[in-house]
Amino acid sequence: MIQGKAMILLASMLMLGACGGGSSNEGKSPGYEGDQSRPPISQPDGKTPPDQVVETPIIYPQMSVAQASRLLHQGTMGPTGAEITAASKLSAHAWIHDQFSQPITYHLPLLKFSPGKDQAGYINRIDTWWRASLSAPDQLRQRVAFALSQIFVVSDTGNNLRSKPEGMLNYYDLLLTHSFGNYRDLLEAVTLSPVMGTYLSHLGNEKANVELNIRPDENYAREVMQLFTIGLEQLNLDGTPKRDSKGNTIATYDQSQIEGFARIFTGWTFADTTSWKYPQKDYLKPMQVWPKYHSEFEKTLLNDVTVAANEGPENALKLGLDNLFHHENVGPFIGKQLIQRLTSSNPSPNYVARVARVFNDNGQGVRGDLKAVVYAILMDEEARDLSQSPEDFGKLKEPLLQTMQLWRELNAYSESGYFLTWDLASSHGQVPLGSPSVFNFYRPDYQPLTLAGSDLVAPEAQIANSVASIGLLNHHYSSLVWRIASTKDQPTGDQILVNLLPHVQILEQQGATALVEYYNQVFLSEQMSEGLKQELLRVFDWASKYDVEYQVAYCLFLIVVSPEYTYQR
Amino acid sequence: MDRRTFLSLCIKGGVSAAVLTSTQLSAMQSLLNQQQYHDYKALVCVFLLGGNDSMNMLLPMSGEEKANYLASRQQLAIVDPISLSPVSALPDTGLNPALAPLHELFNAGDLAFVGGVGTLSAPTTLDDYINKRSHIPSHLFSHNDQQARWMHGKEKQSINTGWGARMLELLEDQPHFASNISLAGTNPWQIGSKTSAFAMSRTGQANISAFSGTNTRAVQLEQSVMRQLAGSQKRMAKVYGDGLTQGIANSQAMNASLENVAPLPDFGSGRLSQQLQTVARVIASQSQQGAGRQIFYVTMGGFDTHDEQVTKHPELLAELATSFSELNKAMVSLGVSDQVTSFTMSDFGRTLSSNGDGTDHGWAGNQIVMGGAVKGRDIYGALLPQRLGSEFDVKGGRLIPQVSTDQYSATLAKWFGLSGSELNELFPSLSRFDQQTLNFMT
Repeated sequence: MIQGKAMILLASMLMLGACGGGSSNEGKSPGYEGDQSRPPISQPDGKTPPDQVVETPIIYPQMSVAQASRLLHQGTMGPTGAEITAASKLSAHAWIHDQFSQPITYHLPLLKFSPGKDQAGYINRIDTWWRASLSAPDQLRQRVAFALSQIFVVSDTGNNLRSKPEGMLNYYDLLLTHSFGNYRDLLEAVTLSPVMGTYLSHLGNEKANVELNIRPDENYAREVMQLFTIGLEQLNLDGTPKRDSKGNTIATYDQSQIEGFARIFTGWTFADTTSWKYPQKDYLKPMQVWPKYHSEFEKTLLNDVTVAANEGPENALKLGLDNLFHHENVGPFIGKQLIQRLTSSNPSPNYVARVARVFNDNGQGVRGDLKAVVYAILMDEEARDLSQSPEDFGKLKEPLLQTMQLWRELNAYSESGYFLTWDLASSHGQVPLGSPSVFNFYRPDYQPLTLAGSDLVAPEAQIANSVASIGLLNHHYSSLVWRIASTKDQPTGDQILVNLLPHVQILEQQGATALVEYYNQVFLSEQMSEGLKQELLRVFDWASKYDVEYQVAYCLFLIVVSPEYTYQR
Repeated sequence: MDRRTFLSLCIKGGVSAAVLTSTQLSAMQSLLNQQQYHDYKALVCVFLLGGNDSMNMLLPMSGEEKANYLASRQQLAIVDPISLSPVSALPDTGLNPALAPLHELFNAGDLAFVGGVGTLSAPTTLDDYINKRSHIPSHLFSHNDQQARWMHGKEKQSINTGWGARMLELLEDQPHFASNISLAGTNPWQIGSKTSAFAMSRTGQANISAFSGTNTRAVQLEQSVMRQLAGSQKRMAKVYGDGLTQGIANSQAMNASLENVAPLPDFGSGRLSQQLQTVARVIASQSQQGAGRQIFYVTMGGFDTHDEQVTKHPELLAELATSFSELNKAMVSLGVSDQVTSFTMSDFGRTLSSNGDGTDHGWAGNQIVMGGAVKGRDIYGALLPQRLGSEFDVKGGRLIPQVSTDQYSATLAKWFGLSGSELNELFPSLSRFDQQTLNFMT
């Protein structure tokens, strides 16, 4: 480990204990400089701590290049060589905190219409997602929001939201806003989003009409429990299911809670509309309530809580969301899925428990502090120190994030300035905010045949079938080999080009071995096998008759389709 | 296709025999070991994603049943059904007019309905449901869990396999890759302990750009990629490496066999039509692939009609009916309609009651089976009363199935060639029902 310029931070807050590695300890997140926006729920001893506590300085070691590369693969949309070099001058703690402090790169303000059009279409939101994600300095936030977009799923695939690109971008911005905020606020913002309201049909949801056998719509009530908060089965803190005396799992809810929450989510529609039945449709502002359409019946919630019949819609919503938020499943259920999106498909139960503890209490009595959760996920010893990780630690890289890293590292651009990727579903098996259903592109517990008999899962393998993986193979090939900027002498319009000249320079000035070593750092976090190195060096022999940028492109192609690149460890 | 043809395919695709991977070799082996079936058979599963409101496909036409239907359905009721004349004496039953293209197939004896089907582990009464007896399926009304229950053919366990793949594994030691084909990606029905679905795209299979051609670049890149894929060591890396190796080999073989397929009758441009067209093309070339039994999985989405059901649902049914009728024409033109049976599955039926402009997740529903081997022009299973508060209604018009999904599936599996004991192995809860199978297949 390189110990050059160690960052020394004077802990000026409530950091008890000087745990150097940054792994969580007893539910506290020692290095995390907490969320001050909310008052603590309570202090354990009822006393207010003094403002300044003099602490032993916590020393966070500077990262090596390999360590920086690993962290940035977990915590960015796909790191560039320059970002890895810059991060390697910091500690992991300092890099994460620097990321926390970056201003938010919102997507909606970056929306551009197509030439000659006076309104946005579907492809313009896809274009915006690429441009924003490629260039945003707040990479960690972008990565967390992308992860959240696969938990709090909305999609414009196969429905009318396809013609609401501003609304979709605004929904993504909502995820960005709350990525380092509190989960309770995120849950409320998602619930009241008119895009979510449209997608899961609680927008315009009415109270019962007993005479006509009409009851409230149960769609959001069901999915908010099954997917956004608690899941189907009661969980231990470490994410494993609780079992009854017969060894069976225990359901978290039944139809009575579905009906209770369905009643909670009645009476809400588009903001500022003058008609309930034929509303003016504002897909940006949070939904607003029409009390006369809100259910007047009592609402049965979780943990034997009921909301009284006369509670009123806004308070009922607050009580309903609080009820979900305080269920003990939320920490392990959401914590484990965030781990799976960022660092590992198969976290140890202890890793899940450490993260769930931080969800339950960020060390300052605050529940649901996502900034602390993200910090705990990335700084956990299981994520930071491979020698402490289980044998199968890590995850398959998502196809979109593979392309994102290539395009970021290779400064991809088009002459027209647009990133018009129409065919992501077939080339990547993924479309941002475009999954086939609310169940995302893959399930957290998906086990491919190759892993049968083990207790391992590989969610991303669910979309790696022969169609999608060959689609991705072809996409990588065309984007690297057929779209090299320096080989184009005709106007290229919307073609997305890659700039290989910096890599060609390394090759020409420092030689093939140096280029392979650079790739080892940027793409493989210095875990490249000898076999792959040889495979890459061989390219410069058999491809020596081709122009030098093609040699580089073939090299890159071989890397991104290699199993060791695809498996992020 | 014999061994020589297969090897020549490999060479044509740029793979020299020296770099044939273990997967490719095993695929070749399965060709050589292919059991000699006396006949060819295929099952085409059309999964209607989201939970089709299939109680609204078959409608009571008269009397109290009709009055109850109108009262429960309110503005979602279908008021202009097409009268059906099934072989069996049944109450006056009408077909949703959006399914008009199916009427002709029904009358021609090529199509039947199976009523009152849903997930069950044993015969179930309202009393069982209210008292939460142990055989009630887990996670009723949840999309992915109920889809999985249909496709697994049993309750969820620590290791889950689908009855489609298990069926192939009972018939063959090492199922041929082309016996297990999905047009809609990974799904629970086709995952077995030795086989998983070969995924195809509805517009056909892509060639691999990097490997196409005969120049140094194509040859070297292919060899280099295949070496790396085969060399994955770590388990998670093997998931990708092995999967892609297999995908590449199978795609190359499939593309070669599809090259000479003669044109088929027209299919529409909808997603379901396109998937079924590819199914038909694969069936047309099956003799070259060498799989004596094939199962296909296609899907149609959009059935989760929580809102705007009055406009959305008829459009969905119309597309479904048109696609079915296109597939039927193609099978007739290929002369294989007796050998290919198509059938629907869906998450669940929907509530008879409305949520204002749509319906919510229910339980029992009706299904469609089509093909020359179907005893058509009839309705099997149970036509459940569409009345709120009936003995079948657990609440809000979620109806308790009277036919289990396993009985329905077992009927298809029996036709596919499985023995009675194999059916019990395939569907562990089958023995809890009086009848293993229904009578809708010849």
